Amino acid sequence: MTTLLWILPLVPVAFGLAMLGVRDRRLFHALDLASASATGVLVVIVARTVMRDGSLRAAGVFAADAVTVVFLGLIALLGLATAIYTIGWMRREVAGGDIEERRLPAYFALVQAFLATMLVTVLADNLGVLWIAMEGTTITSALLVGFRRDRYGLEAAWKYIIVTTIGISFGLFGTVLVYAATAHALGGAAAGAMNFTTIAAMAHRLDPGIVRIGFIFVIVGYGTKAGLAPMHMWLPDAHSQAPSPVSALLSGALIKCALFGIIRFHTIARGACGPAFSGRLLLLFGLVSVVVATPFILTQRDLKRLLGYHSVEHVGIVALGLGIGGPVGTYAAFLHVLNHGVTKALVFFVAGDALGRYGSRDMGRIRGFLRAAPFAGTFLMLGAFSLAGTPPFSIFVSELLVLRAGIAAGRYVTVAIFLAMVVVIFAGLIHHAGKMAFGEPDEAVRRGGEAPSGVLAMGLLAAVMLLLGLTVPPGLDRILTRAAEVTLGS
Amino acid sequence: MGRATPWALALGQMALLVLLGPLVTGVIQKLKARLQCRRGAGILQPYRDLTKLLRKGTVQADTAGSFFRAVPVLVLASTCAAAALVPVLFAPPAAGSASPLPLGDAILLLGWLALGRFLTAVGALDAGGAFGGMGASREMTVATLVEPVLMLVVFSVSVVAGTTDLGAIAGHLSLRRGSFGAPDILALFAMLVLLLAETGRIPVDNPDTHLELTMLHEGMLLEHSGPGLFCLVLAHHTKQIVVMALVQALFLPWIPASTAPFALALGLGAFAARTLVLAIFLALVESSYAKLRFFRLPQFLGIGFLSAFLAVALRLL
Amino acid sequence: MSPELATRLIDALGALLLFTMILILAAGQLYRAIYAVAAQSVLIALAGAVLGATTHNLDLWIVAGITLLVKAIALPWLLLRVIRRVGIRREIEPVVPITATLAIAGGIVVLAFHLSSSLGAVRQAITGNALPVGIALTLMGVLVMMSRREALTQMVGLFASENGIFFTAMAVSQGMPLIIEIGVVLDVILGALVMGVMVLRVRSSVDADIAELDRLRG
Repeated sequence: MTTLLWILPLVPVAFGLAMLGVRDRRLFHALDLASASATGVLVVIVARTVMRDGSLRAAGVFAADAVTVVFLGLIALLGLATAIYTIGWMRREVAGGDIEERRLPAYFALVQAFLATMLVTVLADNLGVLWIAMEGTTITSALLVGFRRDRYGLEAAWKYIIVTTIGISFGLFGTVLVYAATAHALGGAAAGAMNFTTIAAMAHRLDPGIVRIGFIFVIVGYGTKAGLAPMHMWLPDAHSQAPSPVSALLSGALIKCALFGIIRFHTIARGACGPAFSGRLLLLFGLVSVVVATPFILTQRDLKRLLGYHSVEHVGIVALGLGIGGPVGTYAAFLHVLNHGVTKALVFFVAGDALGRYGSRDMGRIRGFLRAAPFAGTFLMLGAFSLAGTPPFSIFVSELLVLRAGIAAGRYVTVAIFLAMVVVIFAGLIHHAGKMAFGEPDEAVRRGGEAPSGVLAMGLLAAVMLLLGLTVPPGLDRILTRAAEVTLGS
Repeated sequence: MGRATPWALALGQMALLVLLGPLVTGVIQKLKARLQCRRGAGILQPYRDLTKLLRKGTVQADTAGSFFRAVPVLVLASTCAAAALVPVLFAPPAAGSASPLPLGDAILLLGWLALGRFLTAVGALDAGGAFGGMGASREMTVATLVEPVLMLVVFSVSVVAGTTDLGAIAGHLSLRRGSFGAPDILALFAMLVLLLAETGRIPVDNPDTHLELTMLHEGMLLEHSGPGLFCLVLAHHTKQIVVMALVQALFLPWIPASTAPFALALGLGAFAARTLVLAIFLALVESSYAKLRFFRLPQFLGIGFLSAFLAVALRLL
Repeated sequence: MSPELATRLIDALGALLLFTMILILAAGQLYRAIYAVAAQSVLIALAGAVLGATTHNLDLWIVAGITLLVKAIALPWLLLRVIRRVGIRREIEPVVPITATLAIAGGIVVLAFHLSSSLGAVRQAITGNALPVGIALTLMGVLVMMSRREALTQMVGLFASENGIFFTAMAVSQGMPLIIEIGVVLDVILGALVMGVMVLRVRSSVDADIAELDRLRG
């Protein structure tokens, strides 16, 4: 079973390498789908094993527990949806001349490499491997962000790679400090002194002072990559300039991988310095993110930038959940990771369609989207309502849980600020979405002709979104509960 | 082995520094010439220049007052006073009581140097020439950047020795030679940056030029002539060797603690060797860098400032 | 080599590293900053050798060798090559005045030393003053990246920052596991290559320096 953990990230790598030699577009999509399906199957097997045995380990490099499974599932689901969506999207891009046919192998191979690095990130047991993989995601995705090679794309890519690389170096420093604490506690560099499972098991023996400094470095470092304010400066640029399927992966999966890193260190810090310290920091960053994102969401004109800022807000909500802590808050944080990932990817797919139809990301010029594209328009409205936190969609559930945990923990001020911001964002978002969806589109705008693959991908995500809003399936519930337990170190 | 520094020795050290000052300049010029593949003038050229100046008459600007005449002598006197304060051949062992005649206090030394600088600038202003005024204003700007750093460097070392008495510092450091810690390294680097500024060498000032846009020190000397100029030039040579001796006293303190003739000769030899090393450093820097624009200077001296600041901070933390 | 001697050497190397960092911060010209960061990497390699000789750990020698080859030779060479290819302006024009940057840097170092002196017995896990110097170098590298606009200066800051991390990492009891260090170096190389390619691409397809790209706002 442990070899499974090695095979899992190798699947996208193998398919990616195979794609480099392909010339036929249909074959690309076939390989893309095959890779996503294979990954999905493996993830399901891993999930079942983990839920049966508690955890899976491979040679001190990789390990899987319930937390891993949550993130693995998200990456696999979004990988599959993106693979489906890319079929129709790519046909239009190539036809429109936005992407040259000869650069297709590079695109598909990079996406596979990006997925592989994300899988390694969440599978890593060794915190050094975690860091290396995280930097790997930066390198691969930076190339994708700048894939269009125009002025804006390159600017966004440069900002992205510089800012996140700075951040990530902080993360490495934090890792080194935690390693120093562990080596000290073990009385020398023993095997496994960098492994999360070892460190978490002996977290109470670590020196609190150095772990505290280390956690500050980590939350600033990986927080940069996760898009926590005020280190979020790269995020709206990269999300808006990347090709739409990549935007979906960035927002849906990548920033969650960075959260995964923070969660690992959160567990260690809880063990070493008690629950108050890291929780309070997460609460602070979460609140700042929610507050900072709000005005930008209200005044935004660019559709994809709007979604980018919205990701900042939602990462903030996850951090709030983790910061409030307790079984409920942590459970809510994990649920929110899934909900936001799915919903945001859906809306980025819609945005990709709108971008192709209207030739602009300016929300002032997108009118009558429901007329022009009935399916995508419907999904836009569904997604917007879900993102804004309306029942019966999934985000409502996780936000409500965060609120409940906050009230139960007696953090009334935090809850009040959070509520106020959510209400304001609700109004702003529905306003934006309504203006785009209703009305009569211009004559020049292409009507109908929605790619079946695109509708299928959006439908898949929308179904998950709705399902999670109505009920959390028992299997998933067990995984999330277990993930919260692992995070809280019990 | 006497605790006190005899007056004679202090005066002898001063005379030695004043006499050797032009020689050091000559050596640096020769080294520079060699580095630039020139033959260059002999190392005794500064002495020839000085004697030439002594033979010449004085011409004074109409606008200059009588104070102008006194300036060169005062400058030379203050610089010589500074020269008397640095330990060169002999450093009293720091153990126990202070010596009856303190060899010299570092702050006093800096004060004498600052006084010399101030008098030079005032003299340049008194002459009423445009270049003199410009030189003076620039020199004082540099001074505001240099002097605090010099203070910091001295402090960083005196924190260890527990005194600002240069003789005691050098003696104290001589005892624990070899333990050259992180703050010492940073302070030494700061001091090397200052050495360039204090001796008026290339990234800061250009000693070889009378081009109006670049000169600092030379600008202030333009109106002087004859014996007056002799005093100022000699003072500049002396200041250079005094600063070099200060670097050695603070950071390379292998100074004998005895007044026996043999020890004194050893001290002289060591002093010559260390001075030669510093001269080579100056010549190398001068040959490989271009003069900085004036408004870039704060940035260059900032390196010195930050290094000195960190040296003090590392000592205290 | 005795541990006491190693501690003293690491302290001295730490001071030299801080000085090279000051040179990078104050550099008015790009190639000087590059030489300074190369010198810094040589010092890091030396630190690796010192620690390797003390702990008789072959891994540290390997890391020192890799650092020397990659960070002291290959990456500076890459940067100088990009300068020549692109013909970038060589004068550094900071967003924040250099003197102000230097003042902030002073604060950073004091903070780093203060932080590490607040730690207890765990400080013994890291040789000499490698912890505060490492923190200071990392933060000052970030300072360089934030206060400059030129792409290559930002890369210099990044390398300096990573040097700080390496310094601390090598000084942690026996150093980090070799495979991790190698992985980190590989990431650094890859990142530098991607950044180098981007600089060239911006020049060729947009005909601008990256510093001139500032349209994405709000």
